Parts: sequence; C-alpha cells; structure tokens
Amino acid sequence: MWNYSQKLLDHFTNPRNVGSLDNPDGHAEVGSPECGDAMQLDIRVDADDRIEEALFMTFGCASAIASASALTEMVKGRTLAEAESLENDQIVEYLGGMPEEKIHCSVMGSEAMRRAIADFRSRRDRVRQAIASLPPELSRALEGCSLPLERAGATRVELVCGGEGRPPVEELERYLADRAGHSVEVKVSV
Amino acid sequence: MTAYFDSNATTRLAPEALEAMLPFLGESYGNPSAFCRFGRALLDPMEGARIELAHLLGADPSEIIFTSGGTESNNMAIKGAVRLMPGRNRIVASAVEHPAVMEPLAFLERNGMEISSVPVDGEGMLDLAELESLLDEDVALVTVMMANNETGVIFPMQQVAEMAHRAGALFHTDAVQAVGKIPVDVQQIGADMISVSAHKLHGPKGTGAIYIKGGIDLPPLIHGGHHECGLRAGTYNVPGIVGLGKAVALAARELDRQGRDLSSMRRRIEEMILESCPGSSILGSGSPRLPNTICVVFEGVESEAVLTMLDMAGICASSGSACSTGQSGPSHVFRAMGLSDALANSAVRISFDRYTTEGDERLLAAHLPQIIEKLRAISPYS
Repeated sequence: MWNYSQKLLDHFTNPRNVGSLDNPDGHAEVGSPECGDAMQLDIRVDADDRIEEALFMTFGCASAIASASALTEMVKGRTLAEAESLENDQIVEYLGGMPEEKIHCSVMGSEAMRRAIADFRSRRDRVRQAIASLPPELSRALEGCSLPLERAGATRVELVCGGEGRPPVEELERYLADRAGHSVEVKVSV
Repeated sequence: MTAYFDSNATTRLAPEALEAMLPFLGESYGNPSAFCRFGRALLDPMEGARIELAHLLGADPSEIIFTSGGTESNNMAIKGAVRLMPGRNRIVASAVEHPAVMEPLAFLERNGMEISSVPVDGEGMLDLAELESLLDEDVALVTVMMANNETGVIFPMQQVAEMAHRAGALFHTDAVQAVGKIPVDVQQIGADMISVSAHKLHGPKGTGAIYIKGGIDLPPLIHGGHHECGLRAGTYNVPGIVGLGKAVALAARELDRQGRDLSSMRRRIEEMILESCPGSSILGSGSPRLPNTICVVFEGVESEAVLTMLDMAGICASSGSACSTGQSGPSHVFRAMGLSDALANSAVRISFDRYTTEGDERLLAAHLPQIIEKLRAISPYS
C-alpha cells in the first residue's frame, strides 16, 4: 500500500465532480485501460471564458481518481488561460503530495484539462465560422436580429432580436449543429 | 477489524511452529555440525523436520535438502539440471512460471541456453499438445509449476513428467503454492525435483527445501562446508528448519479437512462476488484450481483502486497488475491467458488459508460489493 496523504485519500473515496455532460463545451479522453489509467473530462465554459463546470470519469488507481477530482475542483470558476496553465505539480501540491511513482497520474489530469480546452476552442471556432458564413436564406430570415460573434460559445449562441415576429430559432439551431458537428442551443434576447 | 486475503503471498506462522522454533532462537544455539553435544543435540530436531517433509511428499528423507526457500530451490534445480545434462541445450517451461523460475531461465538464456515456452489457454490450463511438440533429445529440463500463484490453476503433473521423461529430460516443478494445500505425492507425480517453501504453508520465511529424487546427482548451487552431504553449504538455519518441520506436520494432519473447508470458503466467496458485483468474472474457473485462490476480474475497475479501498477497510488482498508490484505492464500470467490488458488491469487476487475465519469472510462481503459499485460509478467503462 502506498503512503497517501489524508487529502488524497479523501478525494479518492469522496471524489468531487464525477460524471459527464450531455453536450459538453469541451471533451477530452486521455490514457487507456490498457495502460492502467484512463480519464474522461467534460467542461462547460461560460460567455466570459470561465469554466462553469468540470466533470470527470476515471479508470485508475487512487492517485488517478484523486488527481481528477482535485483538478475539477481547482479549475472551477477559473478562466481558460488559468486552467490551461495549470501544471501537474499544482495538483500534487493541492493533494498534499503523492508518491514519486504516481506523479504520472497528476500529469494525466493537467493533460486532460489542456485537451478539453483545445476541444472547446475547436468546437467554438466551428460555431463562429458557421455564424460568419450564414447562407443567404437564413440571413434574410434573421433580418432585424444580430448574432454577436464574440458572445458565441461552443454550444450556446445568443441571438439578439429587436423587432417583432418569431425568429427562426429552430432553423438556426439545425444549421449550426450541422456545420459544427454538435448540437448548439440558440438563446433569444431582446 | 482486519482480514488477511493474501495467503498466496505469504502466510502467518503457525503458533505451534513458532513455539517449536523458540528454543532454537534461545538456549539451543549450538551448531549442529559441531563435534560437541551442544550442537549434535540439534541434529535430531532437524532430522525430524526432514522426515516430516519426506512423509508429506511420499519421499525418502535422504531425498530432502533444506534451502533458504523456494527461489533457491528453483535456482538449484534449474541451474543444476543444465550441468547434469551436457549436450542438451534447451529448457522447456510454462509461460506462466513465477519470476523465481523465469529469471534463472533468463539468466541461462543470456548464457547460451535456449528456452521454450509452453502456452496456456484462456482458462489458464497448460497446452499439453504444445508441450509435447516442444520436446526432443535436445531438452535438458522441463520445469512446470504445480499450481499457478495468481490463478491457482493446477497443472497435470503426472502427464508433464511422463512427457519430459519420454524425451529423456529431467522434470522439475515449483510446487511452493501447492504443497500443504493439495496432496503432493512424488511417486505418483514422478518428478525429479520439487521446490518447497516454508512460509507458504505457515512456516517461517527464509526456509525451504528441494526434493531431489534418489539417484539424481544434482550439483550444489552454494559451495562451502559439507552440510547436506555437500549439496547445500551454509550453517543450518535450525529454527527455520524446525519451524518448517512443524508447519509441514500440521499441514499433513490438516490437509483433508483444510481442503474441504477452503473449497467451501472459495465457493461462498465466489458466489458472493458474482452475485453482488456486476461485471465480475472468475479467471481459470474452468480448470482445476487450488482451494484457496480466487482470481477475479472486475470489469471497468482498476485493480489497485480496489486494493486501496479494501486496505482502507482493513482487508489485505493483491493483484498482478503493474502499479502494485512496480513492474511495467500487467502480469505475464494474464497476458499468457490471452486476457486483454484492460481486463488484466482489473484483476484482483483473493487468497486465504486455514486461519481465515468466517469473520474475515463477512468483512470482505461487507465491503467488496460497495467498493466495486463506487468505483464503477466513477469509471468511464462500466
């Protein structure tokens, strides 16, 4: 049995933020069961580029599970830049240390975070590109409304409409999902 | 509360063995090889131990040599057999031998010997047809364990011995997991050499023996004084040997009853696991197995996480996986059985002995199912 800190054992036996998101803004899978460690991370990012929610699933030893749990706690409410620059030794420190042979488990955590953020950016880019190149008929149907590009996220888009009449939300959602490759929710605001 | 379920790693010293050893750690400290009575008086207890072990194995006492344990016995048998059979350049071994056999073989391979490996099937059973096809007049030795330490699968010794002898090769078996758990009769098996370890059968650590069939002139591994008729130099480990003798005597007395008790405990624990832990399966369940060994795969759950939670609940078990043993990659035994690395990383070994109580069993049943449930809830693969 390894010599684990109380904090690590606490995160192992009571892991925080376990689960997965239905339509995550960013998703990452690192490791594999063949290697003995595998982790899945889902993130939800708000319009200010802050991590709203981070959920994980892990196949692995106590350090792997505790590292993932610690990671999700540490990044909550942080900006993407902050979460991205998170190093594995900060996870180790947060958990009150880790046996030398287990440090690779914490590396998996920071790796998953970076990949989830990269996945978020690529999803958001696809959505923004789709908005930038709306087909003429959809553009016409959206007359009187605007789609602020800088407010468009990976899975949530704001549609600002001033005039009367019902904006074609469903058509827009279908188009964005088709172009982005994942579902996108359109929220109408006045 | 604690419970020990790692008896294939080591067992607790039988209280009777401890008691028998104590005088030889105290006032009876003489050297049995010395001339004076101080030492000579120790020969009898040691010879008594030799007789006990010979009796358990159906051997003659002159065929028993005391060693420092299973590893030394294996080294002596394997390295000695090669010297005994000049002109034969190959050794045949099962793919699932313990490192105490694998490593001496690897050493010989680096020094020019050829090593052939006999595969096992998905149930952990030795492929006898493949063994037969590997045997010819170039084979010096066949070494196949009696029972596997990880799965508990028992190999058909008699058939292996016959095949080896038909090819004119010597036959050695590493029987450290079998002796004291199942009947082992050298006459029936026809083995030329058998390795025995004391601490696997409630004797002390650092003591073991090798059975060498009469007439086989195995050279010593350790040179020095004339102890053990020149076959194993080094001042006798008198307390260890006496402890081994007592442990063997107890094992002989308990063998039948213990076998029945352990078998029913194994059945009860396996039923508990299969009924209450989804995604679990028993490895090697289609093969004859030691009554005290359960190797279970918990799909989607990493074995070391299970062991850590069990340990926190006071329960000691083990696995053949990478993390817990510091080796790289999953156990060679699971790989040889064709198990995917993912499943091999999910295998847990539960082994017990005659000191395992129903209370221990209850503690395991109280914790294991909820541990598996908890870990499966975190796992992306369940």
